[in-house]
Formats: sequence, C-alpha cells, structure tokens
Amino acid sequence: MAIEIPNAAYSGKIKEVPLGQEGKTITFGGETCYPFHLFEGAMPHPPKIAMEVYDRAPEEWPDTVMEPFADVAGDPVAWANKCIDSYGAEMIMLQLASIDPNAQNTSADEAAAIAKKVSDAVDVPLIVWGCTNVDKDTEVLKAVCEACEGKNVIIGPVQEGNYRAIGATAIGYKHTVVASTPIDINLAKQLNILLGNLNVPDDKLLIDPTTGALGYGLEYCYSVMERIRMAALTQEDERLQFPILANFAKEVWKTKEVKLSSAEAPLLGDQKKRGILMEAMTAQCVLLAGADILVMRHPEAISLVKEAIKDLMTTEEG
Amino acid sequence: MSKIICSAAIRGAHKIVGIAEAKQAEALKKWGPDQEIGFPNTTYYLPIIYGILGIPVKTLADARVILDKCNELLPPLVSDNVWLPYLAPALDAGMATFFAEEIIEAIRYLEEPGCYTEEEDPTADNIWLGAADDVIMRKRGVEFVDGSAPGFAAILGAAPSPEIAAKIAIELQEKNLYVFMVSDHDGKNMSEQLLSVDVQVGWPTRLVSFGPSYTAAVFAMGFATRVAMSFGGVKPGAFRENLMYNKERVFAFAMPLGTVTDEWYANAAGAINWGFPTIADTPIPEVLPTGICTYEHVVSNIPHDEIVAKAIEVRGLKVTVSKVDIPMSYGPAFEGERIRKDDLFFECGGGRTLGVELTVSKDMSEVEDGHIEMLGPDLDQVKEGDKLPFGMIIEVAGRQMQPDFEPILERQIHHLVNYVQGIMHIGQRNIMWIRVGKAAVEKGFLLKHIGKVMHAKYHQEFGNIVDKVQVKIYTEEEKVKEVMALAKDVYSKRDKRVEGMTDETEETFYSCTLCQSFAPAHVCVITPERAGMCGAYNWLDCKASNEINPTGPNQPLEKGTCLDPVKGQWKGIDDFIFKASRQNVEHVCAYSLMNFPMTACGCFEAIATILPLCNGIMVVNRDYRGMTPSGMKFTTMAGMVGGGNQTPGFLGVSKHYMGSKKFFKAEGGLKRIVWLPKMLKEEIAEHVKPICEEMGMPDFFDMVADETVGETEEEVFAFLEAKGHPAFTMDPLM
Repeated sequence: MAIEIPNAAYSGKIKEVPLGQEGKTITFGGETCYPFHLFEGAMPHPPKIAMEVYDRAPEEWPDTVMEPFADVAGDPVAWANKCIDSYGAEMIMLQLASIDPNAQNTSADEAAAIAKKVSDAVDVPLIVWGCTNVDKDTEVLKAVCEACEGKNVIIGPVQEGNYRAIGATAIGYKHTVVASTPIDINLAKQLNILLGNLNVPDDKLLIDPTTGALGYGLEYCYSVMERIRMAALTQEDERLQFPILANFAKEVWKTKEVKLSSAEAPLLGDQKKRGILMEAMTAQCVLLAGADILVMRHPEAISLVKEAIKDLMTTEEG
Repeated sequence: MSKIICSAAIRGAHKIVGIAEAKQAEALKKWGPDQEIGFPNTTYYLPIIYGILGIPVKTLADARVILDKCNELLPPLVSDNVWLPYLAPALDAGMATFFAEEIIEAIRYLEEPGCYTEEEDPTADNIWLGAADDVIMRKRGVEFVDGSAPGFAAILGAAPSPEIAAKIAIELQEKNLYVFMVSDHDGKNMSEQLLSVDVQVGWPTRLVSFGPSYTAAVFAMGFATRVAMSFGGVKPGAFRENLMYNKERVFAFAMPLGTVTDEWYANAAGAINWGFPTIADTPIPEVLPTGICTYEHVVSNIPHDEIVAKAIEVRGLKVTVSKVDIPMSYGPAFEGERIRKDDLFFECGGGRTLGVELTVSKDMSEVEDGHIEMLGPDLDQVKEGDKLPFGMIIEVAGRQMQPDFEPILERQIHHLVNYVQGIMHIGQRNIMWIRVGKAAVEKGFLLKHIGKVMHAKYHQEFGNIVDKVQVKIYTEEEKVKEVMALAKDVYSKRDKRVEGMTDETEETFYSCTLCQSFAPAHVCVITPERAGMCGAYNWLDCKASNEINPTGPNQPLEKGTCLDPVKGQWKGIDDFIFKASRQNVEHVCAYSLMNFPMTACGCFEAIATILPLCNGIMVVNRDYRGMTPSGMKFTTMAGMVGGGNQTPGFLGVSKHYMGSKKFFKAEGGLKRIVWLPKMLKEEIAEHVKPICEEMGMPDFFDMVADETVGETEEEVFAFLEAKGHPAFTMDPLM
C-alpha cells in the first residue's frame, strides 16, 4: 500500500524584510513552510549568520574563541572588516556591551560614534545591540539611530520598557527594530502589536524571542520559537509573521562547558572543539525551530552551520 | 457646533486668507515667482501644507497654488437665516487658515530676515524663536511619541498678570507638556510675562516663544504635523492618517488667554481638525458634544487656577506618576511579609477594631487628583501597641471609568498596600486588617502614605480607566462608622448587580487566551455565570482587563444567535473559538460536560468527570491529593483535561462556577454531583446553598459522597442508593 505523506496546511507567510543599506540589501523572511520543509512550501531567503563584533576588547572570553580575533579586539572597525574579509560574514552584529552601567558605562555619544564608524566601514547589514538595560539602551540606541541615519541599521533589543522611545526614533531615522521579549509567545506578540500601533512598518521589524545556550534552557526557547512559527504559518497570527533573530553566541560562550580547559575537564573532551560544537549545535537547533538570523561568534562553528544550511536547502531538483 | 463660533471662525479665515493673498501678491511683485520661500533647515517645506496636501511649497509661485486651494476650501460667510450644518465648513475654514498662515510666515522669513532667532533660546534683543528646524523637531518631537512629553499647550495671548502666567506655565511644565506661546492680548504676551518674572523661556525649559502674531500658531501645528510624518511614518499628503495620528497620540490643546478674536477662532477651528480642543478663560460659547476631538471641542470661562486641570481632562491626557512617594521601599518583594507580634507597632481592622476599605467612582468634578485627606490620629500620634478604627475611601473618576470596575480596583488594595515594606495587609472590604511594624514607624511611615500608594498605583496600573484619584482615611470611630455604613450599602448593591447578571442579559462574553503560551489551542469563554476555570477571572474582570489593555488576552465576544440554551451554545462563540483555537475546536457548549465541553489550559481549580455507574458527576479540587472514585487522582486527570484538548466527560471548572445556575445545566445541574472531596464540600457549602434550596433539596449536600464514604465507585454507589440520590432517577449520562 502506498504511503501518503501528510502535508501541513499553511495559511500564512512570513513577511519579507529587507535589511542593510539601500542598494545592498539582503532580504529575510518570506517562508511559506516550516523550517526546511521544502517539500511543503518555499524558503526564498535561507537563514543567514551575523558575526559578533564587540565595542571593547572582551575580557572574559575563553582563549579558544578569542584567538581568531586577538589581533582586532578593541578596534571594532578592524574586527568587523576581519569578519567580512577573512570569514565571509554576511552580517555584523555590533555588541555595545561596554555601555552597561555595570560595565564601563560608555556614554551614548561615544557608543554612537563607534556604531557610526562601523556602519560606514561595512556594506553588509549591521545590527547594533544594546546592553538590555532599558534606560541606558534608550539613551544609547536613540543616539545610534541618529548617528547612523540612512543606513537602515537593525536596532535592538527593543523591549516593552523602551519600545516607544527607540521605536519612534527608529521610524524617524528609518531603521529596523528587533522586538525582544523574554521567552513567551504572548509577550512577543504583544510587543509586535505595540510596535505596529506605534507605526513601525512591517518591513522594519524582527522578532527576538530570546535564545539560551544548549543545555541552558534551549529546549524552552526552541518551543517558543517553534510556536511563533506555527502561529504565523498555520494559525493566521499576523503579528507573529516576522523573521526571527536568535542571539545566542554570548550565551554559549559564557557557559561552564566552553570555559573549562581540557586539563580541568578531560571527560568533556578537547576544549576548543567542545566550544565550537556547543555553538554549532545551538545554532542547528534554532535553525530547525525557525530562526532567520543567527548571531554567532566562532568562525569554525559558523562554517559548520553554513554547511548545514546549504545541505538543508538542497532539494532533489538541486 | 455653535453658530457664533463657526461664523467667527469663518470670518477670521476669510480675513487671514485675504492677508496671505495680499502678502503673496506684494512679494511676487518684489521678488518674482521663482523666489524661494520656506522655513529654515527643514525637509518638510511648509509642514502643514506638505503634510496635509502633500504639496512641497518651494517658491512664491507654489504659494499661489496653495492660495487657490484656500479659496476652494473657504466656505461662504455665515448668514443670519441659515442654521445648519456648520461643523464641516468651520473645520475647512480652519484648515485654510493654517495654509494661509504658513504662507504669511514664510514670506515674513523672506522679508524680515532675523525676525526669529532660529535657535533653541531667545537672544538678548529677540525673544521670538520661530519655527523649529528639523534638528529641534527630531530631538523634541520623539518625546511626544515615547511619552516623555505627552503633548503641548498652544497658548494665545496673555494672562491677566505675569504671576498667573508663571503659575500656568509651571503647572503645564509639571505635567511635562510643552508650552507653545504666540500672539498677544491687549499688547501683552505670555512670553514677555514669563521673562518679566524671571521664568526661563526656550526649548530647554519647554516654554517656547514661537512668535508675536497669531499666525505663529502654525509653528505649533506644523510641529505636530511633522511629528506624525517623522515618527509616525505618515506619508506627506496622507491627511487623514496625519490628523488621526495627532488626535490619538499628541496630547495638545489650544488655550486662548484673553479676548477671542475672529482670527483666534479661525485658528481654534483649524486645531480641531487635529483633535486639539480649545480651553478658554473667557466666556465664549462652548462646543461640548464629542465628535472630532476625544471629548469636548471648546470649553470656556475656566478660572486660571483650574484651567490646566480642565485642559488635561478635556484633552484626555493621562497623569503619569512615576514613583510611589513614601519613606519605605515599595515592590512585590515585600508582598509576603508578615508582621509578627514582637515587631508589631500598630494594627487596625481584622476583628480587633472596626476596619473597612472601599473604592467608589465619582463624577470628574467631585475628585481632586492627588488629594489625600486624613481625619483622626495618624501613626505619629499613637504609641506602640495601640489599635484604632480604620476607614479608607478611595474615590476615583475617569472618562472611561464604570461603576462595574469599582470592585476590581478595590481588590487591588490588598496587594498594593502589601507591597509597602514593613506593612502587612490581609483581607478586603470590611474584613480588612492592617499591621504596621516598628521598623516602618521608625522610618516615618504614616497611614496617610497608604493614600499616596493608592493614588500612584491606581494611576500607574489603571491609567486607562482612571483619570483622578483622591483618598480619604479616617481613624475616628464616628467617621469610620459612617464609612462602614456606606460601604455595606455599596457592597450589597454590587453583590446584587453581579447576582443579577445572567448569560441571557449580557450580549457580550469575553475570551481569555492568557494561557495560550503553553496551551496554544485553548480558549476560555467567560460568561457572567461562568467564571474562568482558574477562578481568577470573572466576566467583570475580563471587561475591565479589556478596557485597560484593548489588545490583550481578553477580547469581547458577541455571542450571536443562541444555538442551544440548555447546553450553552452560541453561533458567535463557536465562530470565535474556531479561529482562536487555530481551527482545533469547532464547537463549545459552556454548560456541558458531555457535549463539546470547554477546553482547559491547566490552571483549573477543580476537575469534573463522570462516574458512569452512579450516573453522576464528581468534582475534585487541586488541593485534594487522595484517590477519587474515578480511579484517578487529580494529577492524572489533569493530564487528560489540560493542554487545550476537548475531552467529553472531563472538564476544568472553577469553584465559583459550582454555585452558578448554569453549572452543568446540560446534564441536569448540581443534582448530578455525586462525589466531592470533603474539603471542597465544606468550602463551597455556603456558596451553593441557594441552588440547593431552589432545587427543593436544602440538605442535598448530605446525599453527596466524599472520601469518608469511599474512594471507589462501588462504595459511592451504595451510599447514594441508601440516601436516594436524585442522580439515580435522572436521564442516563451516556
């Protein structure tokens, strides 16, 4: 007896969001099926990886991931260029970690100047990420919006506590925003509604549902991401039909498992390989849950994941 | 709209357009048609014209095109023998006024260079700033959108004295509003008045001296129009979107101080297009019905010490209270604190003294926001171990407030007061009990601070329905008795209201999809007679929740045609459920266990299931850990009920629902109940008593088995048979 393969009935489509400067944009979204269910629908714009660049030289990174960037740390422009030139980065995420009041508390003007320099130096889409402190992010990201006018920078995290200020400023300077919520589909939807009410255009909005590292609550994040995609594609949930950004590199690279040396934890295997695989496996999971943009750090993990995306995007027809 | 106002506005508009015509013609002669005109450093040209018509005015020739538009818009002057309608022509006249005034101001920039400082502050010899350039607009305009400045007051003219001017300005500043000042009255203007009493004027203090003429009003309106284009993503020429954006988000109003001339009327009529009402200090006619603006359009003859409060009310501006101003820490972390005997300084209520708390709604005019009245001794006048009677009335007023929301607000007192460090609050209504610890009194805590807490928190959490809050706290026996009498009256009215509400009398039910985060296909339908199965949300809660957060998880449902009154099935509800459950559930019967029962999330207080042998229904509550006659414990059953699945024969219910007339109406109601855990039986006995009496079986609960009778269906069966339980004679359940 022939087996009939059941097909999911899709009724929605992810909105297409062009990112990057005019003339050099890359489009995301547009999916009409679950991730890589190419036998059921289309994924016109395969997921891409954004490489992290930090505004200051990181202090607590394990050597295994510091090594590729040791020569550029402390110089965000050089760092971004190295990511693009040496590692083929398709996008850059500038992490403004130093603005955190508990870190160096870098001023808004200084941070905006860094963002401006990086945005001038790169052609690929640029994500500028704050420190998640609602008040400080408001101050800094507003300044970033102003400094990077005309570059269609992707600004985040936009949270419930500051969506009005950052959202409105981003509209004013025509940037894209990332709506960031703590692992909850209702909150994600609510923030998207609020940003919509603020008149943020649909092609200027991404969802960040919060992503943990493998072994650190990833399964919960996975479920929420998966649910967002299900709601968007099969349940006509219009306010969830946006591309998803998964920002997990900094989660992965702070876990105990990537920091313990091979000597300290011989049972866990080689430290370098372990870290790369932790990051690549986390990436692989969120790809299957529906992420469109993966924020990653280690070049070797990135090349593994790029390879996987290529494989997953291959159909019989080629 | 008042005929007097309309006639004056239309007259004013004719004059202003006439002036613009003359200025333009004169300038044309002098400079030629290709002469560039505009406001400095802006990409929005003449912003009102650009925003509303989508036409970029760049030259004197372009201005001619606009003047033709003005003439098209201008209605004929009002004659004595025509009465209606006036609103639309007056609004058009107002719009033409603004177009004409932008042209007048643009020509002024051309003809009188240096007439405005074009900076953020006045200079030594010029106090007039002129139009905001794009840098100022971007920096300041975003504040209108992010809420740090809710809007602006456009003040025309001057106050009777500089002191009054300063007082009004400071009051507006305190509400974070911008003050845009234009025009004069009797040769005086507000900007100079402020400077004369050393009030700093300029963008940094939000007191903006735009210009000496009434035509400078377009700088204010142009600012608002640009905000919509810049931060609202509204396209030039999308006039409806622009006006609606301003009506909904920019809390602006016009405040003419002094004689309202035809020209001022014309400007006021124009502002109404943007949803900005006029609040005047002179006795001009009023325009009260709601239409274009959120509430009234023109309110007049307001005394100067009330004019700011009135303006805020009429424009529907929400007061924001950012901090709870008390000497103690405040937050959810302190909610669970207990004040034990050794730490106790003072207590009231809780059966020790008379204690009562009440939230009531009042008319807007009866409540003075932030007013806290304390009658009787406060904590600084008592000694350790004292007890006093306590009565608190919180009076709230709001345009969106409804008496139905009173109990919901009142219920918050418990946790909101508990959030204060060092204070313990228990109970509600007239069984409330407050204990104040020694540490709190040492830090200077007073009972009147409870009033401050309630004022701040009601504004913060219920700003959508509450505009004004005042609190009265009494510790004098006589006064407390008065409050108690009032409260008892209010409570009984409220209880009657809730009892009187039935599923038949209300056309609207509410959905609750709060739990879809973990039960994606589950939708609760909450009706007046069936509260949410979690016990936390009843119909009124949902109604208030929807008012507070219109896009939230509680949506109004039109029940539509009733398909089955016994099972509780409605067309409108079925349609909604189908969509909201992601097409997983097609029908729901609100009163049935066996036919399309409601799905459940996982938060139910209790679970009902059938006992087939007994031809009855058992209910088990979450706290009961033992075995039930169904052969399953609560936890096992929870797995079958939850997750948004429809499982006939299993249903999540709230305890409250068990006392409803609609409780399992489809299966015969309460009479079907054959088994309950003893604890649940005792808990709801009082609550279901009226139903038992109505059934003609006041002792019905004696026939219901519990775990002391048995935990197997056979044991229960024998008990029911001996008692003659009515379920035995009812139609078979299956």
